[in-house]
Amino acid sequence: MFQYIIKRILIFFPTLFAISLVIYALSILAPGDPVANMLTTAQGGEGNQSDKIAGEEAYMEMREKLNLHLPTFYFSFSTSAQSDTLYKIQKLSHQETLSRLAYDSGNWDNVSAYYHALRNFENKIYQFKPDSASMAPHTNIRNNVGQVYFFPEDAKIKNFISKIDKQFEKSDSLKQVIGADFENVKTAYASLRSETSTWKNYIPAIHWYGTNNRYHKWITRFICFDFGISYQDQLEISSKIGDRIFWTMLISILSIILTYIIAVPLGVFSAINKGNTSDNVTSTILFILYSLPNFWIATLLINYLCNPEYLQWFPSFGVGSDLVEGKSFFQALMIRGWHIILPLICWTYGSLAFLSRQMRGGMLGVLRQDYIRTARAKGLDENKVIWKHAFRNSLLPVITLFANVFPLMISGSIVIEMIFTLPGMGKMLVDAMIYQDFPVVFTVVMMVAVLTMIGYLIADILYAFVDPRITYSSKK
Amino acid sequence: MFFWKKNKNENQNGELDQSYWAYVKRQFKKNKRALYSLYLVIFLAFIALFADFIANDKPLLCSYQGKVSSPVLRSYAVDMGLMKWQEGFLNIQFSELEYDWAMWPPIPYRNTTLDAYNSRFKSPFGEQRVESWRWRHHLGTNKLGNDVLACMIHGTRIAFLVGIISMGIATIIGVFLGSIAGFFGDDQLKVSRGRIIINILFLPLALFYGFISRSYILGDAAGVGFGVFILQLLLSLFLFILVLVIANGLAYLLKFIPFLKKKIDVPLDLIITRFIEIVVSVPVLVLILAIVAVFKPSIFLVMAVIGAVRWTGIARFIRAELLRVRNLEYIEAAHALGFPKFRTMMKHAIPNSLSPVFISIAFGIAAAILIESFLSFLGLGIPKELNTWGQLLTQSRSAPEAWWLAIFPGFAIFITVTLFNLIGEGLTDAIDPRLKQ
Repeated sequence: MFQYIIKRILIFFPTLFAISLVIYALSILAPGDPVANMLTTAQGGEGNQSDKIAGEEAYMEMREKLNLHLPTFYFSFSTSAQSDTLYKIQKLSHQETLSRLAYDSGNWDNVSAYYHALRNFENKIYQFKPDSASMAPHTNIRNNVGQVYFFPEDAKIKNFISKIDKQFEKSDSLKQVIGADFENVKTAYASLRSETSTWKNYIPAIHWYGTNNRYHKWITRFICFDFGISYQDQLEISSKIGDRIFWTMLISILSIILTYIIAVPLGVFSAINKGNTSDNVTSTILFILYSLPNFWIATLLINYLCNPEYLQWFPSFGVGSDLVEGKSFFQALMIRGWHIILPLICWTYGSLAFLSRQMRGGMLGVLRQDYIRTARAKGLDENKVIWKHAFRNSLLPVITLFANVFPLMISGSIVIEMIFTLPGMGKMLVDAMIYQDFPVVFTVVMMVAVLTMIGYLIADILYAFVDPRITYSSKK
Repeated sequence: MFFWKKNKNENQNGELDQSYWAYVKRQFKKNKRALYSLYLVIFLAFIALFADFIANDKPLLCSYQGKVSSPVLRSYAVDMGLMKWQEGFLNIQFSELEYDWAMWPPIPYRNTTLDAYNSRFKSPFGEQRVESWRWRHHLGTNKLGNDVLACMIHGTRIAFLVGIISMGIATIIGVFLGSIAGFFGDDQLKVSRGRIIINILFLPLALFYGFISRSYILGDAAGVGFGVFILQLLLSLFLFILVLVIANGLAYLLKFIPFLKKKIDVPLDLIITRFIEIVVSVPVLVLILAIVAVFKPSIFLVMAVIGAVRWTGIARFIRAELLRVRNLEYIEAAHALGFPKFRTMMKHAIPNSLSPVFISIAFGIAAAILIESFLSFLGLGIPKELNTWGQLLTQSRSAPEAWWLAIFPGFAIFITVTLFNLIGEGLTDAIDPRLKQ
């Protein structure tokens, strides 16, 4: 028994690790530059050097806040053409371009030299104080210089170089001051393209970064309930979840209670009357309920029962938070109940049908057992046979089905909360997905995964407790 | 193969075929509900397969400027890049051409056709601006003027495509992993230490030459087109396997070292059941949501993800079945005759344990269709312009007066899911006779 539980718990951790890796990989693959998403101010918008510096500083600050200045994982496994310090390059888009250039040329030193020459040139451009003659070409160069970081294609970079060259021809003073810096860029780029060593793309390289990496920071903070900040409003995700979790939990728990209260007697009733009309009717209804998609029913209910044009029996959104102010407890309860009842129905009926079908099946299985025949043969009262002998034994697997019901609830919450606009976790998840607010998405997914796993863990342990045969087999 | 060889229930002597498969078939046929469900599913599959010929905005056959052609068939060739549209057919509305004569599909609209004259939720029974009854929108239109019936028919195709392909992927993974776990167990596969070590060492290398060093090539190919990408992907897989084959060649040389030569048991069953446990505890729906939120909407992605997480049921079924089958006499006979274990598994063990897998597939298709419509409903993962069942249903939320958008697609989802569930139930009863009686 003890051994079994220990074994079960030991499996919990690699599972958690695997899931966290999948979710982390997804968060890296997520499109867009998170820092740029967070910063609403346009960088270098006015074109002043001070603006540009301020923008870059804000970028750096946010980057450190999001830990993006750290390597991605404990180690990297790449081609030897790629640099192991690429993560130190400030912007994500620059990193992508440089990585591609490194692949094309196979020579990181040259790519790095090119990048630094380009950065130097860009700085010089911003530092340059133009007079009236060099104003137009200077502005032109300044507005175009940022683009080159975004494309690794040879033709586009050459086009860029020739464009800048043309601007230099227009102004001698510009050429005198920063012409040399641009020549550096050109020579660096020429050597990048000429001194290629693409064979490096076929040599594997492994770099070890140690624990100072993004994954390590993320998972250690996650364990301490520090989930980071949301892209949308820069609030702490933990506080956002704290606000939302109440309604999801409330409806889930009510729904689970309701499910068990109705499903268990219904299943037993069905099993006792197997083959009767009443069993056929309930079985059919339950089967239909089981296959009815809850988002369809929820849509129908909200379209035609909460709509002033048809029947307005129920409120169409929210949980009535602004209606309950100043009301007595009982009235408030009524208002809340009125708001919750339809979501609760949609939330519950699927798992209800699932559970009572399981209960019926389990009960039928038990009723066929020899000991039930023995109990009947020795003249026991039928009620006693069913409730004392059969019911207790068929209940055990149903209790542990709790683990299966739980994920069902969470996935139910997503769509039901969305349709009935309840302020819960499911709605938060869908909203975050639509706004591409990935930290929130991955936090919720990770939390659901952990809760699901805990559910399975509890169910397995419970099962081991109530069914002694499990213990026996593990000792063997 | 195993399932069409025994099509007849009777053998030459007119006796009932006593094979397991024939027995299952007879039992399934006894269950009328499941049998009719199967017929209905075949009917729906027919609609899905011929959706382009039932509902299309191009004529099936037409004569235009004296030339007879079939734009529907031509569109297949054009989509595959084999042909180009004829002069006069490029970038036009087929419905506005002056044909000599034309044979239209029963529903002259597609799921993507916009009827500008009948936009803004035209009711099936209300007034519609159409030339004749032939052009009416029999199930109404949505806000943009898509014909709901055409969307329903093409939605059948998408639902079936997602259901069948995702479960196809799941079946391949599940049968493979489940059968090697069940057949080899923890003590049947003996491998020399040297081979294990060298395989572990070469696996990252294979990954490197197959995928990491080719990541830009693969990425570029994905940008060019789907076919090119698949070609490059196959090449990558080939390189991956090639490295592993070389590694196993090297393992022969290690045989001369006594320590490395010693054979040990590979606990395949243990490894695979642990892996199944990990995958099972993943909250499938939420994970799928996270994945489709990150990538561009595509039904192929949805199929692949569903397939990649829903194989565990199949693997469990076939593992349990093979654990039983591998101790039967005919497997022992095959061993005694000296056939390789892998051949015995493929030729004898798996074909005789596949039937429970069909239960899992039937329920799995129902679940996959439900997931697809759920994602469509949420507006995630499925391209918006497809107007699938779930997308039609979600459009009804902004216009409750368009009841036809709420009723028909929801009913279609419900019916399809129910039919597959009924087939699953029928199969369960047929395959596990203990539950019957």
